[in-house]
Order: sequence, then structure tokens, then C-alpha cells
Amino acid sequence: MDTPSQALAARITERLVRENLITAEAAKRLQPKLAEGTLLPEDWRLPLEVAEMKEPKP
Amino acid sequence: MSASGLKQLTIEHLRGSLARFVLPFEKGKKVTVVYGENAAGKSTICDAFEFLGKGKVGSLENRGLGKTTKYWPSVGKSAADVSVTLETQDMATCRASLLKGEVVVHPAAARPQVEVLHRSQILALVEAKPADRYAAISRFIDVSGVEASEAALRQLIRDLTGNSDVALARVRENLDAIIQFWEAAGKPGSDPLSWANTETQRDPNAADAEVAALTRLQTAHSRLADYPARLQTANQAVALAKQAALEAERKAQQCVQTIAADAGEVMGVLQAARAYLQKHPAPAVCPLCESAEKVAGLDQRITQRLASFSTLQSARDRTIEAEGGVQRAKRQVEALREDARKDAESFEKARAGFAWSPDIPMPAAAPQDIASLEAWLAGSAHLSARWKSAEAARQDRKQFLGTLRRALKTYGENVQAQRELAALLPKLGQVLKIVEQERRAFTDSILARIAGEVGRIYELVHPGEGLNKISLELDPAKRASLSIGAEFCGGNAAPPQAYFSESHLDTLGLCVFLALAALDGPQDTILVLDDVLASVDEPHAERLVEMLSAEAIKFRHCLITTHYRPWKEKLRWGWLKNGQCQFIELDQWTARQGMRLIRSIPDVERLRALLKESPPDPQRVCAQAGVMLEAALAFLTQLYECPVPRRAGGLYTLGDLLPAIDKKLRAALQVEILTQDGAGNGSYSRRASKVTVTLAKLGSVPVASKGLLP
Repeated sequence: MDTPSQALAARITERLVRENLITAEAAKRLQPKLAEGTLLPEDWRLPLEVAEMKEPKP
Repeated sequence: MSASGLKQLTIEHLRGSLARFVLPFEKGKKVTVVYGENAAGKSTICDAFEFLGKGKVGSLENRGLGKTTKYWPSVGKSAADVSVTLETQDMATCRASLLKGEVVVHPAAARPQVEVLHRSQILALVEAKPADRYAAISRFIDVSGVEASEAALRQLIRDLTGNSDVALARVRENLDAIIQFWEAAGKPGSDPLSWANTETQRDPNAADAEVAALTRLQTAHSRLADYPARLQTANQAVALAKQAALEAERKAQQCVQTIAADAGEVMGVLQAARAYLQKHPAPAVCPLCESAEKVAGLDQRITQRLASFSTLQSARDRTIEAEGGVQRAKRQVEALREDARKDAESFEKARAGFAWSPDIPMPAAAPQDIASLEAWLAGSAHLSARWKSAEAARQDRKQFLGTLRRALKTYGENVQAQRELAALLPKLGQVLKIVEQERRAFTDSILARIAGEVGRIYELVHPGEGLNKISLELDPAKRASLSIGAEFCGGNAAPPQAYFSESHLDTLGLCVFLALAALDGPQDTILVLDDVLASVDEPHAERLVEMLSAEAIKFRHCLITTHYRPWKEKLRWGWLKNGQCQFIELDQWTARQGMRLIRSIPDVERLRALLKESPPDPQRVCAQAGVMLEAALAFLTQLYECPVPRRAGGLYTLGDLLPAIDKKLRAALQVEILTQDGAGNGSYSRRASKVTVTLAKLGSVPVASKGLLP
């Protein structure tokens, strides 16, 4: 059974993907660390930059 | 432990179980009610489940006993004698025992999930401090992992905001520096950045070859500059040497004249003789006169005579030495002329070997003749400073280009960094907002679900009292702090402990416990409620019993202990709407036998069992049916306040009760048949039968008047 942190992490990453802030691949990597509380400040930055790069340019 | 139904609990020497006590569970019944008077052993059964599932005995806690392990064994028994074994319908077994003060369960994987609520703990959650209340339910709302990650995100935003400010300030500094360079250069081009870009495209090493050639030129020039002085010194040395030679010759002549007119010639003969004698040390005759008369000691006599001419000899030596000095001085002058010629050639090579920029002035070719050098040097002396200035200008230019390039590079990097941060920071802020929103929504939804469930259960016990608006709220100003509130007389979120009666608080505590237990895998949980009905009054107890019966079926099994006698009666006579549960009654505990079961089968079940016998025993069936009829009539006469003769002791016979049911009531009475499905769920259907006729017939039976209610 998921812990509250795991359930919440799943909801958060799902919404971040839905709002195009991170990619689905990044969400998979982010979710466990987000739940465990082991994300470092820089760990937040990379997924956003990757999503930015993959975003279609006008 | 699998989620299979329970079969049997065996308690050996734990607390009140002086002897081996076996509690059987009926197959298909998920609720077990254990009835017993005080000190019958109800709590020991609860302790046994807690011992097995949680490794502790909760009923002894908070009694000022300190570590309670030593009180776990029955009186006269040791820790090694204590064991609790649970068997399930699928024949699995799980046994807990005490080893070195710790509860050991075997097999550990089969340990059942147990939640126990003791009477003493019922208000724990309601009356607890907010922090303790939070701790009690933290397993449902503890998102500390996400909170830690959220803190890391906040830290990142703080750091990057700082970095963005720094980058912005540096962009300004870099631009100011470039503007200063541009202004110093006379503001060429359209703007400072375009100019700087153009400038930094230039090759910073372009002037390196010219600077190196200038260095070589200056070195060659400075070497030529010494020659006039050095030539003058060398010529003076020649003149001095000549003068010294003349003086030595003059002194030698004077010496000859003072010694003898032919002294010079004599000394020459003696010197020749001594040279001869050194080659021929023992001659037989004199080499000059060929006489042998005075040949002995000739060498000594020649040496003595030469000594008398030493002054003349010294003068002649000095003359020779002075002439050598003149020759050496002349050779020095020649060598100097040759060096000057070569250095003049080197200078010319440096001068003519490079295409000089127009701002670098050049002299005429250096003269090969040293004598003309002084005039040439005088004519080109001023050029040295010009060359130094030109060299410094080129070095400065190179340094300037390096500085400008670095400034432009740093400017570009800081502009880029600032742009990236300006794009990233809003997104990070958006992420943080989402994380905060989701976290709040998540915990709020769980708390609302718990509160809603508490309210729903509470409403079952206190319908229409308007006290079911329960709220659970995290204190935003404090970490891990949970407040509980209830709507009371129109006031919102009032602390229930401030307004609720003791029984209302008890119910609330029980509802909170049930709601929380139901959140945590109820299908795998054995729920144990230890005498939780104590302070509830009769009407509420009725509904509480119904509520417990309804809620308990959500769990793997529910065991409820009580000393509440009405519940015993309801179970005994099968009057509970949802109460189709197993009923067990404990006899009074004794020091000799410990805990004992009295009965575990309700009377209605006993009657059914008697009817199923083949052939049925009419006497026993009638006796059991009579007991049940008396109980039913007693219930009806109490419910509808029918007139019954007062009797000491409150024991009434069938003859007392039957007439009390008047015609109007008899006509209204109907028979309902309970039907149970395989899962034990019951449904009622009415039978079209005349209860009036049946009661009339029963009233005519003489023996009925002798029956007594137990």
C-alpha cells in the first residue's frame, strides 16, 4: 500500500506532467525521490530544463 | 496471517488466564461479542489480541506501573509460560510468546493486523494535545517526505533568485566597463557593444612579431652604444703601455752605464756559460779557453759573478715585460674594432629585417668603422625612447584587447545566465505552487474524509442532534498539529471536549477510532473494542450497538467486550437488527479456574438446534420456546406499557404476561421470518399468520402459567 507521501508524490508529478512542466519520463524518475524526501535543490531544476528543451518552439 | 476467518484463540497464562483458555469463533460470523461481569476476563481476551498483533498489553498502560512486562504472566507463572495462539479457518496458526521481555511471533509473516481500543483510551484522541492527536493519525497524513522535497524546492528558488540578482548586477557592471573602454577609445562605431565585438575580433597577437623585432633592435642598439667609450679606454691603455716600455728601456740603459762599459757583453758571456754548464755539468776543461786548470768550481764562480749583475738583469726583464704590455694593448684595440663591426652588422640585420610600422622611426645603417660610430650613436640616441614607447603601446593594446574580450565574454555569460534564470524562476514558482496546493488538498481531503466518516458514524448514534459536523484541521502556524472541532448550537469548530457530555465524547472517541481503523486496510484488521459502552445511556446504547454491529462487518473480524446487560439480552433473544453475531458469555473469574465460558449460543439458536434434532424432543423444545415467549412478552409489555401485576423480584410468569397483551395489540402483532444468506446477512419477511389466535391458544394451556422468566 502506498504511503501518504507516495500517494501525494504521484498526484504532484501527474499534475506537473499535465501542465507541461516536466516530461513523463522525468516524472517517473522524480516521483520516488519526491516521496522519500531525497530530492536535492538541483534535482528540481533539471526536469524543468529538459521539459523546456523538448517544448516545441514557435 | 491470511485474511481468512478466525477459528480459535488460545490464551495460556497471560494476565487472567490462569489455565489454558480457548475462545472458539463461529464460522461465517465476523463479529464476536464477549459479555461478562466485571473481572470476568474480557480485557484479558483483548490483551491477548494486542499481545499477538502489537506485542504489548495496552490495558496495563498509563497506570503508573512503569515497564509492565513483569505483570503480563498470570499469577504464579513466568514469562516463559505465556503464549497466545490464533488459528484461522484455513488451518493457519500464529503463536506469540515472551522471550527475554520481547514478544516473539512465529511465523512473523503471519502476525495479524490488530487495532485495540480500551475503555481507558477512548478519549485519548479527542482530549489529546494537537501534536499528540497529529501523531495518532500521522500515518494517514504524514507527507514529510514530500515536505522535505518541497523545502529543497524552496531552497532552490531562494538560491536562484539570489543568483539572478547577482547576474543582473554583474551584467550592469560588465556593461559599464565596456562603456568606459568605448568612451576611452573615443566612442567609435554605433554603440559600445558593437564596437567591443569588432575590437575583440582582432588578433591580440598581431603586434607580437613587431614587439619582438623592437626588442632585438633595442638590444643591438644598446650594445653599439658602449663602443666609443670602450675604444677610448683601449687606446689609452696602448699609450700607457708604450710610455711604460720607454721608461723601462731608459732605466735599463742607465743601469748598464753605471756598472761598466762592457758589462753588458760580459754578462752575456756569463749567462751563455751558465746555460752551457747546466747542459754539461761536469766539463773536463773550460769550454772557452780549453784549460783544465781552474775547471773545478767553474759553475759556482760563474753564478757568483752573475749575481753581481742582477740589477741590470731586472731592468732588462722590465723592458721586455713593458714591450709585451704594448703588444697586448694593441691587440685589445683590434679585437674591439672587430666586435664593433660585428655588432654593427647585427644591428643592421635587425633594422633592415622587419617591415616597421610608420610610427616606429629608424636610423641610417650603423657604420662598420668604429671611429664613425660615436657620431652615428649621437644621431640615433633619441630613437631609443621612441622604440620603448612603441613597444609599450603595443603591449598595452594587447592587454586591452584581452581585458575587453574578458569583459565582453563575462557580459555575454551573465546576460545568458540572467535570461535562463528569468525563464526558469517563474516555472519553479509554478511548480512550488502546485506542490503546495496538492499537499494541502491531499491532507485536507484525507482529514475531510476522516472527519466525514466520524460524522457519519456519530450521526448513527446521535441522529438529528446536529453534532455530526466534525472537523479536523491542521494548524497552519504549527507543524504536526491537529485540532478537532464540532458544530455546537450553531457555533463552528467548537472544541467538543468543551461542550459535549461525557457520553457524547465517548461516542466521538469511539467514532474517531473506528473511522481511522477503517482507513487502514480494514479487511485485514482484527478490531478489538474493550468495554467501550460504559458511559452511554440506554437510547444511545441501543443505537451504538446497532452502529457497532454495522461497522464491524467492514473488518476482518471484530471482537467487542461488554458488561452492558441490555446488549446481552438483545443478543440472547436475537433482537438486534444487524446483530447477527456470535455471542459469548464469560463466567465469573476464579482464582482456581481463571476464565471460563458459560455459553456461546443464543437461545434462539438453541431452539433452532432442538428443532433440527431427529426426532425433536417436544419437552425440551417447548421449554426453550416457553423461555423465549416469556422474554418476547416481557419486552412487549415493557415497550407498550401493558398492565402487568406487580411482583416482588420482577419475575413474571407466562400467565402474568399473556393477558397483558390486549386485543388491539394482539391484532397489530405480526410474525417476521429472518432469512440469512451464505455470508450471514439477514433479511426479514412477514408471514401471514394470526398471532392473536396463537396467543389465545397459548393462554388456554394450563402449564403456561407456571413458566417463569429467568
